[in-house]
Amino acid sequence: MSLLQEERDIIVQNEFADNFDFAEIEEFVKNASKDLFISHNFKTKNKMLVQPRGGFPTYQKQYDLYEFFVNADVDVLPLTIDSNTRLNDYATSAKMLKLSEENEVDMLNGYPLVNHGYKTTRKMITHFNKPVSLRHGTPDARLLIENAIASGIFEIEGGPITYLLPYSKNFPLDKAFLYWKYVERVCANYSKLNEPINRESFGPLTATLVPPCVTIVIQLLEMLLSLEEGVKSFSVSFSQTGSMNQDIVTSAVIKKMAKYYAEKIGCGDADVHLVYHQWMGAFPTNKDFSEQLINTATIIAAMVGADKIITKTRDEASGIPTKESNAKTVANTQYTLRMLQGLPNIVDEEEEEILTEEVMSIMEAVFNDPADTLWRKVFNSIKNGTIDVPFSPHIINHNEVVTVRDKNKNIRIIKRGNLPISDRCFEYEKSQCDLNKDASSIVNDIIHDIGIMQW
Amino acid sequence: MKVVTGVVGNDIHVVANRLIDISLQARGFEVFNLGVNTYLEEFMDAVIETNADVLLISSLNGEAEGWCRELNILKSKYKNLDGVVFMLGGNLSVGEAKEEEIVPKFKNYGFDLVFHQVDLNTGLDALEKYLEDRK
Repeated sequence: MSLLQEERDIIVQNEFADNFDFAEIEEFVKNASKDLFISHNFKTKNKMLVQPRGGFPTYQKQYDLYEFFVNADVDVLPLTIDSNTRLNDYATSAKMLKLSEENEVDMLNGYPLVNHGYKTTRKMITHFNKPVSLRHGTPDARLLIENAIASGIFEIEGGPITYLLPYSKNFPLDKAFLYWKYVERVCANYSKLNEPINRESFGPLTATLVPPCVTIVIQLLEMLLSLEEGVKSFSVSFSQTGSMNQDIVTSAVIKKMAKYYAEKIGCGDADVHLVYHQWMGAFPTNKDFSEQLINTATIIAAMVGADKIITKTRDEASGIPTKESNAKTVANTQYTLRMLQGLPNIVDEEEEEILTEEVMSIMEAVFNDPADTLWRKVFNSIKNGTIDVPFSPHIINHNEVVTVRDKNKNIRIIKRGNLPISDRCFEYEKSQCDLNKDASSIVNDIIHDIGIMQW
Repeated sequence: MKVVTGVVGNDIHVVANRLIDISLQARGFEVFNLGVNTYLEEFMDAVIETNADVLLISSLNGEAEGWCRELNILKSKYKNLDGVVFMLGGNLSVGEAKEEEIVPKFKNYGFDLVFHQVDLNTGLDALEKYLEDRK
């Protein structure tokens, strides 16, 4: 028996988990409907796929939400997992699930998949026969993804960097890399049985003034960590920056670089997709304005040629959305997308050249780290600030990089910390901003720039 | 001047914490930022270790009272805290609360300066004035 299989046998021996029958699960995946695989939908549906967000504690509420989504012409269903499961605290999620079922009050902010188990959940997934995407935020997702794939969920979001740096203060980063290596291997193995399992990285990160070069580098590295384990279908992603031009430049560079680096490690045969997140920062409290923001994001997604868009709702500023408003965004987004065919191709050569150079300098520094494996190189690069995510709460993150918006709302680096970008690129970034102010005014600008969509 | 800062308790709201850090540095302070999710004992240890002049605790999720009410008891267990300014700011209650009730309550717990839902620069201006007046 392989070491991986030994580890899997141990992982599923959890008192809160179903009794796993791996042979039965393999049979299920082998014979599963192709419609359940988003990788297959990417190939055959000739349109941008629309995916909302959403997870409720009870089976019935999740089922009702899916019915609403299907009636709104959804392309991809979400399964958002509750916060206790994300921290592997299945005892608490079990208790809160019971309370939710008994009192018809939602005591969890998502669906506790491990507690429901794969045997039950599979009934719902196969009933709707739509691709489902697992949305979580879990550093140790080993048991969770075993349940997900066994349920018929063939897209797994996350990664060791993007699910750790924005979500945790002190979960050990090196452990996260090893736990995610398990996820990649399990996904790669199942991918041999039918259509490939798709892995997706979480590009929004902290959604707070993250410069595009940092977003892209992290997307590329999580992609490489996944492809090198044998994953054949991967989605890189980013969220609306607040500047349409910067979104267009970011998408051009991320597509070009993803292809370049996948080929560089001999994985050019994998399919790489682009996912666009509607605005992930603070929303306006005015719900009509929220709808305008959402609609603008849809237009930008069409401009950048995204393969999938992930939607928000008019309720974003006030709390977890109702199934009605959630389904409404899906229908509205589909409507807008039908209008946006054959858009012109906008290219900003100067911005693209600068961003490409920044990305390649950081990637080169990561590859030049003396460690023997890619994950250790990445680990060291985060530790020494070669990769630095603004506003990450994690203790390993350097927090030396400072960014502001220029007059066209592009995010610019005004303090580079240990980011190994060239003097030429750094001078260009700074030259776009008015830095002849005193330090307190710049701090006020940053506060303003974070809440840009609230005004 | 040395300042120890961070977010108290099981509170992970990091954005304001970074802004406090940057603002304090812009005003010329030497900053020791313990980040989010920090307990009172950790703050006190850091003040002793760095020989800080100011401890600036922030809180956003409304749970500050539960994490800070024992400040005076804790202060009595440490030596060499004379002259350290204890400051607290942020959103200091769950639900709505009046400033004239919140401020005296936290001053009783052992804080010199308390700011409930006050703009960051206003709070830091007040800190600088307090330090100036004390000279």
